[in-house]
This record gives sequence, structure tokens and C-alpha cells, in this order.
Amino acid sequence: MNMISVEDVTFAMEGSDTNIIDGVSFKINKGEFVSIVGPSGCGKSTILRIIAGLIPPSSGRVRVMGRGIEGPSKKLSFVFQDFALLPWLTNIENVKIGLNLSELSEDEKDKKASELLDRFGLSGFETYYPNVLSGGMKQRVGIARAVASDPQILLMDEPFSSLDELTAETLRSDIVYMLENKNISVNSVIMVTHNVEEAVQLSDKIIVLSNKPTKVKKILSIKTGRPRDKRAASFMETMDLVYAELAK
Amino acid sequence: MDLLGILAQLVLDASASWLRMFIALGISVALGFGIGVLAATSRNAERVLLPVVDVLQTIPILAFFPFAIFVFVVILPGYIGINAAVIFLIITSMIWNIIFGVYESVKTLPNEFLEVARLYHFDLWTKLRGIYMPASFPRMVEQSMLSWSIGLFYLVTSEIFSIGNLRYSVTYGIGSGLVGLAAQGIGNYLLGLAVFIVFVIGTRLLFFKPLEDYSTRYTRLHAKPGMRSYEKALMDIIGMGMKTRYAKRIGVVAKDIRVLRKGTTGTAIRTVPVAPKPSQDMGRIAYSAIGLVALAAAAYIIVTNPTLLGYEKLVIPALGASFIRVWGAFAVISAISVPVCVYFIFISKRSQHYLLLFQILASIPATVLLPLIAQSLHGNGELVAFAVFMLSGIWYMIFGMAASTRTIPQSVFEVKRLFGVKGIYAWRKVYLKALLPGFITGAITGIAAEWNASIVAEYFTTSGISASASGSAVISSVGTGIGKLLDTSILPGGLGLGLMIIALLNIVVMILLLNTFVWRKAYRNVAKAYG
Repeated sequence: MNMISVEDVTFAMEGSDTNIIDGVSFKINKGEFVSIVGPSGCGKSTILRIIAGLIPPSSGRVRVMGRGIEGPSKKLSFVFQDFALLPWLTNIENVKIGLNLSELSEDEKDKKASELLDRFGLSGFETYYPNVLSGGMKQRVGIARAVASDPQILLMDEPFSSLDELTAETLRSDIVYMLENKNISVNSVIMVTHNVEEAVQLSDKIIVLSNKPTKVKKILSIKTGRPRDKRAASFMETMDLVYAELAK
Repeated sequence: MDLLGILAQLVLDASASWLRMFIALGISVALGFGIGVLAATSRNAERVLLPVVDVLQTIPILAFFPFAIFVFVVILPGYIGINAAVIFLIITSMIWNIIFGVYESVKTLPNEFLEVARLYHFDLWTKLRGIYMPASFPRMVEQSMLSWSIGLFYLVTSEIFSIGNLRYSVTYGIGSGLVGLAAQGIGNYLLGLAVFIVFVIGTRLLFFKPLEDYSTRYTRLHAKPGMRSYEKALMDIIGMGMKTRYAKRIGVVAKDIRVLRKGTTGTAIRTVPVAPKPSQDMGRIAYSAIGLVALAAAAYIIVTNPTLLGYEKLVIPALGASFIRVWGAFAVISAISVPVCVYFIFISKRSQHYLLLFQILASIPATVLLPLIAQSLHGNGELVAFAVFMLSGIWYMIFGMAASTRTIPQSVFEVKRLFGVKGIYAWRKVYLKALLPGFITGAITGIAAEWNASIVAEYFTTSGISASASGSAVISSVGTGIGKLLDTSILPGGLGLGLMIIALLNIVVMILLLNTFVWRKAYRNVAKAYG
């Protein structure tokens, strides 16, 4: 089943005729982990924001589970590169922002938010402000907020690039765990990244974008099951393939 | 005089005033840059300069104007003296925020820039030209615009003040020109006001707008979120971005993530700075002790000296009355400025247009509007004073809040949209909290501006000038107030310099106490959460 279909999406800055994004199309199926890679400044994050309904495309459309979108939807959630925690809210209040549109009572929201923080190893930090947390912990709060509303699709904009490598590795396995666990609502992930190794390690599909204008250059499928051995010959081959596409 | 004659006279007046303004701005920027860089780069200079500048910017400098005129006129001949006094006064209003702007820009400069400078043996000039200037340029432009608005208030006010004494009066000036026109009738006055506003808008568009546009080419590199893309761009230029990452990582990452997870979960909390270092603590205690001893000594001298005690009996009720006016106006300002800011910063799609409009409006000093205010309030002294207080303080609140929200990353607002945060919930959890730090800084500077205004507002409602300055309406006097007291003390037959000094000391002590026990505390509490 198509979770998301991006259909001939173009995007131009307000007041400009030149399309920064020029006719991008791809589909994402249920259960897939998809990475978008491409040169910096090619509009990867913009595409992700168009899918999230945060920015309207100049033309073309995005369908989420068969339906066109107008603005943010509860089916999707977003993980930010800079975490985007509201600095003036405590960690639990930040997670509760994710529950804003839910029907739960205030008490139930509190309960669910603290369960989520607990699941991400943050119990005890509920009433702290984000500024006392390390980068990795902040991003855990960000992920807890993103999955709080039980979204089916998780959009991630370079979620691990401002974290140290060890923390990033841990969080990557958290995301894969969520994707593969049937008890958790998330069943598809789109991740924008400039880290090719990370893309090869996690993805079922890698979408390689070109720059100026941005188009889909190639969509690579990876069939190997996760977790993947980074020193395996096939892993290296795939990485070389992606680099070759990027360099073309 | 015919219309053309009046217009020509007005343009001449305004040009003379603007010349004073540009001289003052030039000196303020040059001095402000020097002092700001010095304070940011030398620990010793920082220790001395920051507290001094901090105190100077919050005391009502206007109160010293009569003294300044006296000094400059004695030193310098005739019109040079009075002009020097006016320019000096404008500088004292312009320079403080420029110093802080430069200081903050240099202080927050990424260390790498300074390391580059050391690596390549930059001399002082290269460092100033290549690093400190570009780094502080955007803030200097931004602060200069604010300074310009503040300066206009002082310009007009000091020009009007100078009329009070024929010997020292400035010959050409838009402030004195307007007072003259107001005496001739409301029509001529409105024409003068229009010329003034044209000059304000012209300066904003022809002088500051180009500077502002020019400065954005620095901000793109300097802004915090931009740093990452700057690094990335640099990596791309070198052409090894992804490949280095790849090469570095092979063989480094441990295979078993499960092991790592145990290790990292929940242990990565940073220590929260709870107590300052002992040496800092000792310093603060020493400062407080010196302050308390000085205060006690001053109190002892005053209580044992009947003349001074007599002054004090005049000063304290006056200060109390002004205090009530200032804080009453502050309450009204808060009630207006907070919703206005929420609307134009967060809700409206035309924030930039509103900001420009507010900047222009803020450049019209309350003192210029005095005749209009007096007429519409039927010369009620208390109301006129209140209106002048409000007009003087409100822009600081609005710009303080606008400035503090600019550092909020765009993603925070995307979060708000993503999760459909709206209505009261958005006000409570996003808007009001986002404005809080700016509210506090705006309140500190806004209240300081109100105190300054009290000197003027109560002066106009007291002195004989009120009749001519307000056109036909005669403003009734306020009951009592520190401004009125200061003004009457220097008028012929007043109690003189002794009372003036005692009154000034009282103001300074009150403002220092409020800064220490109210504002600094409030700010520290907010900083704890906002990090």
C-alpha cells in the first residue's frame, strides 16, 4: 500500500520563477524506511516540509494514504535536526505538545507523556527544562514528542547530524526498533540525511537527488535485512553506488 | 510669514537638528565600538566598564542637562557651547546600547575566528577590520536605529529646554522651531510636525535601510543556525564533506548497539550550574558590603544634617508620586504592548512591515507631540504627564520583545503548526513564554525611559514654557514629582544645587535597588529555564 506519494512536486521561492525543486515524484510503501540524500542546498529539507504540510508546493501534490494534504496531518510527525524543543517548557510539557490534538484528558496526557519519556530512558527528567539535557537526550524528547500522537509516518530532517556518533548510533537503532515493532504506530520513515553510511545502514530505499534544479536522479533499493554489517562487501558496494550517483 | 517661508525655515531647522544628530551618532558609534570591543576582549576592562555602563544607562541623564549646559557654556564660546551641550546630551542617550551591542557581538564570536587571527598573526588593525568590525556591524546598525530614536527625544527635548534660558538658546533646531510654531497656532504646528516626520522617514529609508541591507550579508554568516550551513559550505568547497566522514568512521563504530544503549541512557546529563564560583561570590559580597556601607554613611550624614534632612523630606514624597506615575504607566504599557507583540510577531504575516512602521512611529519623540497631547487632554497636567510616560516607555517594551523572539529557531514555530497548537493554549505555552525574556529587558529600559520622561513631562507641566510649548492650551501642574522638584530646584528662587544633588542621588539609589532586587532576580529566574 502507498503510504505517501509525491507527485510531480515543484517549488519556487516566493516571487521567483526558477524552480528550486523541479518535478520530483516518488512513492513510499508501508513498512519502508526511505532516505533522501543529495548535495547540500538541494532542497531535501524543503521536500520533507512539503510532505509534512508545513510548506505548500508551487505545483504538483502530495498524497498521504491516498488523500491529498492541506497542512499538517495527525498521520505524520516530524523530527527536527535542531530538536525544536520549546526552551521555556519542561520536557514533559514538550512531549505533551505532541498530544495537543488528541482527545485525551489532561491527566491521560500527563500519563502518556511520562510513559513516553520513560520509554526513551528519560524518567526523572520530566520537570527539567531541555537546556539541562545533552544533545542526545534532547533528541529523545523530540522523538517522544513526535510519536506521542501515534503517527503512522515519521519524517526526520537530519535527525542525528547534530549528535555525537555513539549517541546517534543508539538513536538509529531506536528508530529501527519502532519501525519493526508492530505495537508502535510508526510504520514508515522518511529521513533526510547527508550521511551516506547512515542511509545505507538503515534504508529500504535511497532516493538520490540532483542539484540545480532538484530532481530525482536515482532510487536505489536495498534488500538486505537489518541490522547490517558495515564491513560486509555488499554494504561497501552499495555505498560506492550511492557516492557514484552523487558524483555524477 | 507665508507658507513657503515657514517651510524653508522648517527645513533649515530640521537640517540643523539632523546635523547635530549625525555628529552625535558618529561619535557614539566610534566610542561605542571602541569601548564595546575593549570590554569584550579584556577581562579587566570588562570588570570595570560593564557595571559602570549598566548604571549609566538606567539613570535619567536628562536630569544632568542644566549642569551640562553650564559646564559647556563656560568652556566653549557662545553657540558652540550650547551646541556642544546638546550633542553631548544626545551622545549620553545614544551610546549605551551601542556599547552593549558591540560587546555582545564580539563576546559571542565563535572562538575559531580568534584562533584564526592568532594563527596568522593578525595585528590589531587587521583584527579590528577583519573580525570585530564585521562581527559587530549588524548589531551596530540595529542599535544605531534604536539610538537614533532615543536621540531624537533628547535632541528635541534639549532644544526646547535651551529656550528656557535665552542666553543659551540654540538658534536653529526643529525642537525650538516647533515650539515657536505651536505658539502661532495648531495649523503651523502640524506643518512642522509633518516636516519632522518626513525627515524621520527619510532617514530611515535613505540612511538606515541601505546600511541594514548591507549588514545582512554579514548576518548570514554570523547567525547561529547559519553556522552549520557555513561549516557545511566550507566542507563542500574543500570537496571532502561526505568522504571524510565515511573514511573516519570505518572501524570506529562499535558493532553492538545494545551495549552502548545501556551506557548512554540517562547518564549524559550536564551538571547544572547551581552556585557561582567562590571568588565570584566573594566579589559580590564585597560589592554589596561597600554599597551598604556607603548607603548607611549617606543616610547618617543626611539624618544628622538639618538642611539635608529638609531636602530629603521634599524628595521622598516627590519620588513616591513619580514612582506611582511611572509604574502606573508601566502597567498600562504592558497591557497594550503584550497583545500587540503577540499579534505582530507571531500571528501576522507582515511582521516586517509592522516593525518598520513601529520604528518610524517610535522615532517621533513624545515631546514633539506635546502640544497635540496637551490640546486633546485639555491641559490636564496629570494626564499629559501620563501620556508622555507611556509614549516614552512603550517602544522599549515592543522592541525588547521583538528582539528577544528573533533568536527563537524557526523550527519552534513549525512545531506549533505541526501539532496544531492554537488559541489559549498557544498563548499560554508559546507566545507569552517566548516574550518573557524580552518583556523583562524591555521593562528595564522602558522604565528607565519613563523616569527620563518624568523630568520632561513634569517640567513642562510646571514651568512657564508650558503655555508656549503647548500652543493655546495651558497645562495644569502635576501635584508633586521628582521631575517637578528637579526643575523647580534650578529655577530662579529654587532651592538650588544642594537639593538637586540630593534628588539625583535618591533617584540613582532607587534605580540601583530596583535593578538588583527586582529585575536581576527576575532575569535570573527566566535565564534558568531559557538557558
